Amino acid sequence: MTTGHQAIGPSGHQAGRQTMSFFAASRRVFDLSLGEMLWSRRTIFMALVVGGPVLLALIVKGIEMYGMSALRVNGQRVAGFGIFGVMIWMLFLRFIVPVLGVFYGTALMADEVEDKTVTYLFTRPIPRGAVLIGKYLAYLTCTMLVVLPSVMIVYFLLVPFSQLPSTFGNLLIDLGLLALGLAVYGGVFAFVGAFFKRPLVIGLVFAFGWEQVTLALPGYLKQFTVAYYLQALVPHAMPPDGVTSILQGMFRDNPPVAVCLAWLFAYLGVFLWLASRAVERKEYILEQ
Amino acid sequence: MPIHDQGYRRYLGTRSAIGGSWQVMTRAGVMALISKRQFIGLMLFAWAPFVVRAVQIYVSATFTQASFLAPKGETFREFLDQQGAFVFFVTIWVGAGLIANDRRANALQLYLSKPMTSAEYIAGKLTILLVFLVGVTFLPAMMLLLTQAMFAGSLTFIANNLYLLPAITLFSIAQVLLAATTMLALSSLSKSSRFVAVMYTGLFFFTTALFNALRGITGRSSFAWLSPSASLEQLGDVIFRLEPRYQLSPAIAGLAVVVMIAGSIWILTRKVRGVEIVT
Repeated sequence: MTTGHQAIGPSGHQAGRQTMSFFAASRRVFDLSLGEMLWSRRTIFMALVVGGPVLLALIVKGIEMYGMSALRVNGQRVAGFGIFGVMIWMLFLRFIVPVLGVFYGTALMADEVEDKTVTYLFTRPIPRGAVLIGKYLAYLTCTMLVVLPSVMIVYFLLVPFSQLPSTFGNLLIDLGLLALGLAVYGGVFAFVGAFFKRPLVIGLVFAFGWEQVTLALPGYLKQFTVAYYLQALVPHAMPPDGVTSILQGMFRDNPPVAVCLAWLFAYLGVFLWLASRAVERKEYILEQ
Repeated sequence: MPIHDQGYRRYLGTRSAIGGSWQVMTRAGVMALISKRQFIGLMLFAWAPFVVRAVQIYVSATFTQASFLAPKGETFREFLDQQGAFVFFVTIWVGAGLIANDRRANALQLYLSKPMTSAEYIAGKLTILLVFLVGVTFLPAMMLLLTQAMFAGSLTFIANNLYLLPAITLFSIAQVLLAATTMLALSSLSKSSRFVAVMYTGLFFFTTALFNALRGITGRSSFAWLSPSASLEQLGDVIFRLEPRYQLSPAIAGLAVVVMIAGSIWILTRKVRGVEIVT
């Protein structure tokens, strides 16, 4: 995809009748945004969030090394991989992935509007949609670079060496589904951020209101969530942690992997397209 | 009178004593919010559980076959528990930008250069949040109690459960103060209201997720103090004379809530200052 605009150099001089493709423009924005994202206070927030599970895993490992009984449930010793599964469910899947999606996804455009810098991006001779896609790719790289290594650290801290060969495949599935979760939630919230005026509140209502409630209801409503398809791919058993979890467990059904993947990729494609379209068409009004 | 004729004139207006300026700030904040239709929609939606419970009380009072729906003391506890979700969303909507937006616009120095102390500024901002939070917790719960008496046509239920009046009041105060002070403290730490909202979400959801993970790992719920929401739930059970849901001493749960509120107030007093001292 190309644009009919002429490329203008940073000094404002016309650089010739070159056109920049959508892909090349996205890549430029990606390069610019990645550095900004990695070296911002948001990364501190993200490091704190993903540092929690690592710290917990360290504590568990310490307790285990001293042979204390904290890792026994009803007298039964809990296996390291079981604890890892609990952490994937409770911390990564139910909290870290949606919250990072909401935080970064809604901020992709909203940050530029809030800082009143969106004008500078939109005056460049690149398609507006490429701005969003470039920023989205930077978000994806940035979050994956922080979240996935944290999962690896937690895995190697919790799972004994003897269990590594039998459980490594499940770790790869976990990494894949967390990456997919970040991608899909990021896409959905990128659209929310590009389209709505109060994206964060809407994003939080979706992630921690709509998704949690509909998963605990019978019927088809839960199919309008990302979590339904994502949770069906988890190789670990869902740990019960209250009434909501019990209800979600009762009404939980596992659609086939292919169906889940198809829906997740469909969500990703559709919402990214909608987000890109919203950025192309929407007139952002900067508050004075 | 031509402008050049105007010389120095003494201020002839009335000067209000220090201590009342926070009301101006509260009034302006409340009015700004209630002029937004979306926010009014959220507040109305927050009253939906009240309507459902009122219908439940009506049906139980009217049809003897539905007497099993009659409210008990714990009905009010459950109601306030359900309102927790609305407390969260209202707190984020109203509170995230309360101080952060002033810091962003460098308005804090402007406010505090007026005859207004930082305590008044904090009180003014805090009251904005409290007004709306009381509107989704204490007010509907008390209205529900009143509705029960009206539909039953007697005060027998209230007389038999007199403890509900202080219980609803005390729990609402704890719920509202915890949410409001925490949000305001976070709002004073940043210039971005979105960052504040995410920090608040992280504080409440992440600590709960951490507690649930620890519960899943150890099989014990004695780590409830890690999560402010869980501590509040434990405290609520004790206030409503119910069996506590976690294996945690109510005193520790209460202490966790008090520490959270006191810590937030301490942050506020440190961060809300007219002059930023750069060292």
